[in-house]
Amino acid sequence: MDFKLSEEQELIRENIRELVKKYLDPIAVEIDESSRYPAEVIEQLAAGGWMGMPYPVEYGGAGLDYVSYAMVIEEISRSCAATGFTVSCHTSLASGPIFNFGNEEQKQKYLVPLAKGQHIGAFAVTEPGAGTDVGAATTTATLDGDSYVLNGIKTFTSNGPVADTFVVFAFTDKSLGGKGLSAFIISKDNPGLKVGQHFYKMGIRASQTSEIILKDCRVPREDLLGKEGQGLQIAMSSFDHGRIGIAAQAVGITQAALDESISYSKQRVQFGKPISKNQAIQWMIADMATDIAAARFLYSYAAFLKDQKQPFTKEAAMAKVFAAEMSTRHTSKAVQIHGGYGYIKGQKVERLMRDAKITEIYEGTSEAQRMVIAGNLLR
Amino acid sequence: MPRIIACYKWVVDEAYIRTDSSPELDLEYADKKMSDYDRNAIEAAMQLHEKYGGSVAAITVGHPDDTKGVKDALSRGPEKAYFINDPSFENLEPAQTAAILADVVTAKTEYDLIICGEGSSDLYAQQVGPRLAELLDIPCVTMVSKIELAGEQLIAERKVDDGIETVSLSLPALLTVLPDINSPRIPGLRDTLAASKKPVIEIVKDELSGDFTPCLQVLASFKANMERNGQKLSDEAADIALLLDTLQSKGIIARGVK
Amino acid sequence: MAGIWIFAEDYEHNLELIQGGKELAQKLAGKIVVILPYNSGNDEKAHDCIARGADEVLYLPPLTEDGDFMACIPLIVAEALQEKPDIFLIGSSLRGKELAARIAARLNTGLCSDCISLKPSNDNQSLIMERLIFGGAAVQRVAIPTRPQMATIPPRLFFPAAVQEGRTGNIRELPPAPPSKVKILGKKTRTHESAALTEARILLCAGRGVEKEEDLSLVRELADLLGAEIGCTRPISDEMHWLPEECCIGLSGIQVKPELYIGIGVSGQIQHITGIRDARIICSINNDENAPIFAVSDYAIQGDLYKVLPLMIEGLKKSK
Repeated sequence: MDFKLSEEQELIRENIRELVKKYLDPIAVEIDESSRYPAEVIEQLAAGGWMGMPYPVEYGGAGLDYVSYAMVIEEISRSCAATGFTVSCHTSLASGPIFNFGNEEQKQKYLVPLAKGQHIGAFAVTEPGAGTDVGAATTTATLDGDSYVLNGIKTFTSNGPVADTFVVFAFTDKSLGGKGLSAFIISKDNPGLKVGQHFYKMGIRASQTSEIILKDCRVPREDLLGKEGQGLQIAMSSFDHGRIGIAAQAVGITQAALDESISYSKQRVQFGKPISKNQAIQWMIADMATDIAAARFLYSYAAFLKDQKQPFTKEAAMAKVFAAEMSTRHTSKAVQIHGGYGYIKGQKVERLMRDAKITEIYEGTSEAQRMVIAGNLLR
Repeated sequence: MPRIIACYKWVVDEAYIRTDSSPELDLEYADKKMSDYDRNAIEAAMQLHEKYGGSVAAITVGHPDDTKGVKDALSRGPEKAYFINDPSFENLEPAQTAAILADVVTAKTEYDLIICGEGSSDLYAQQVGPRLAELLDIPCVTMVSKIELAGEQLIAERKVDDGIETVSLSLPALLTVLPDINSPRIPGLRDTLAASKKPVIEIVKDELSGDFTPCLQVLASFKANMERNGQKLSDEAADIALLLDTLQSKGIIARGVK
Repeated sequence: MAGIWIFAEDYEHNLELIQGGKELAQKLAGKIVVILPYNSGNDEKAHDCIARGADEVLYLPPLTEDGDFMACIPLIVAEALQEKPDIFLIGSSLRGKELAARIAARLNTGLCSDCISLKPSNDNQSLIMERLIFGGAAVQRVAIPTRPQMATIPPRLFFPAAVQEGRTGNIRELPPAPPSKVKILGKKTRTHESAALTEARILLCAGRGVEKEEDLSLVRELADLLGAEIGCTRPISDEMHWLPEECCIGLSGIQVKPELYIGIGVSGQIQHITGIRDARIICSINNDENAPIFAVSDYAIQGDLYKVLPLMIEGLKKSK
């Protein structure tokens, strides 16, 4: 057991903090208000090797362990949860399945530019009628000669409007249920793929989300990811990885709420003393710090298991549900500590409270996480 | 193709002293960091390397535990590091540091240019660079804000109190650089991971041959007390009027507009 | 009589060091030797130094053809090896600091950089000196076992020495300097904004709390009313480039000693505080109750600078 970060990990954390402070902190309010994609920050992250962290150097990545990767997502999210998610979604959900299930040609063609940050990735599984129930999807892929023809509408596709490479799920054989789902890699240049409606969200507003419309979208056979019928397995595996990132994101959001609460409560004077002298405030801050520490250990443990090549599905779900729920709870407390000021636009805690909520919803709702955990315990 | 040595110091982060509430100067649990000005020194070396080729090595004197500092330095670009360490090398005074560096630089390295920061962010004595130059008997220019190389000649701009001097000197030479010479890059992820794999030449005390007795004895170190009995005022009109009145009655500011 | 040696680039600074030397000479008996830059046969300054306390004045030779001031180092070193001064005080200008460190290395002796206090030890055998470390957060008290005991001294640690009637002393010129390995190709003289700041009686300092460059006009208006100079913290000069670098107050910028300092939206990083510690009155305006500058302020205005500055301007206009 070792709870101490290595010297290398400490340096990585210091460097990402410095980068985020220099490039992301100054624009975090603006990109939230305008729902703007921070392309200039993503460029900086790409230049520093932060867009393909866990993938091997030969595929354009940095060869980083997953514990450190999650730590970096936490640090980015501490400044701007939307950017933290853009990186996490690009890395875990979009690049991950190509690394884990792609063949060598697919890795060279798609993973290398993704891991280098030259391309941005998106992951299109959700449909208007198929959220947690992935099997309810209606998008189909029909083999026609040397290519599949995809038809359907994907919704809530994170990074959709800015992605170069999409991992898209469609039924090659609907009659087989889950076993008929397959995954495809599609370039944004494919004329059959169109970015549909953009969504303007409550939180993580700088993260870009849209519909993806597939109309007679011809995908060459070599861009089938994994085997026909492996889609559900690929999706679930991607979510397992992604959840570690979301747990880390939730911890980053809550850590920021704690930072803000400590600083504000020490300077806000009411009844002749800083409100930090009040036990009511002290208890909120103590609880916040305790839950953050617990959630950080949970996601680090799930990532550690992943690094050890052990099963980590249950632990990733535990980390995500715990981190997400404590994040919504404590960001609300942080607004409470700030009183009226916390309810004003431009205040960081106001943004944090809106940003936190999504962590309970995407990449599997809290309810879905409990299904996963219970399913693992009761089988 | 200059062979450059960039000197750095791994120092206590002074931010710790501010946040530590005890009245004593207790540094046992203080974090350490790359001395601020030495980031500029290493960056200056790397920029010259990128422009003119050659090589860059980092060198430091410190405690054997300061291995994170070696990784930090290497993540900023140098291809190797000289890590001169001994448990007694923790709190050296500038004359000792310069003597140890001179000993190692002479015995173990080949160089054309040595670059130091203008001072260290802990002691800020601004001595090691110029002292090292004298011990090596090479030309020295301090407070440099611009460097260009033309063969064996080096052209630099150095800050003096009444302006900027442009100077020329021949290599080998030593420069100390100001923070405004560059903005140090933030090491990328691959740079940090690659740093652990670069060669580190460790040099222990037994391998040194000089006399390193201190020329400066530290009698005491304590927290600076700069506190004043501040009178608290609000931004209300009455308070501001009171302040102006007080300053005027003390004769600090004139009554009436000049 | 081993002596106390003094050198400062700036003549005023030199007179301050003579005063420091005189105070030490009362306890640590020794003659005071002042080193002056070459002055082409005009001995007015040398006689002035003698009248103010110097026992001997050493002229440096004219600058060598290449113009490098540091060419004089070997001459000073040779003279010191022969005369064996006990103490050597050097004004801590940028050149002064380099000169001091290089001479100290040649003489294999200790140097207290930017010394802020020096007094004789109890047995009057040596100097006890203090200097700031960790960006001004701590003080180090040091002694130098080797000789000469060297120190660089910032401006205005002492008042300039006063003229005494009937003093006499020697004037000597050092031999020509060997050619320097560093050649001066050119020089750009800087505008003396920093001189105005270091001399200012009232000084306003703009910090990060000032939101926009245009808002500096508010600071300027107040400065005009007070007859004050305007300085700034490092972010304002280095990151925002609203004011020139010469206006930056702090450890690595300029150090000031005004009668009144008003920090406007200055949080009070330790490096900045170190630059203003000798101000007679420190007044600060900040909306953060925990701003470190409040701990070192005589008047701590917690509030909105955009409310306070107009009130001050209005108040000053009214008091006419």
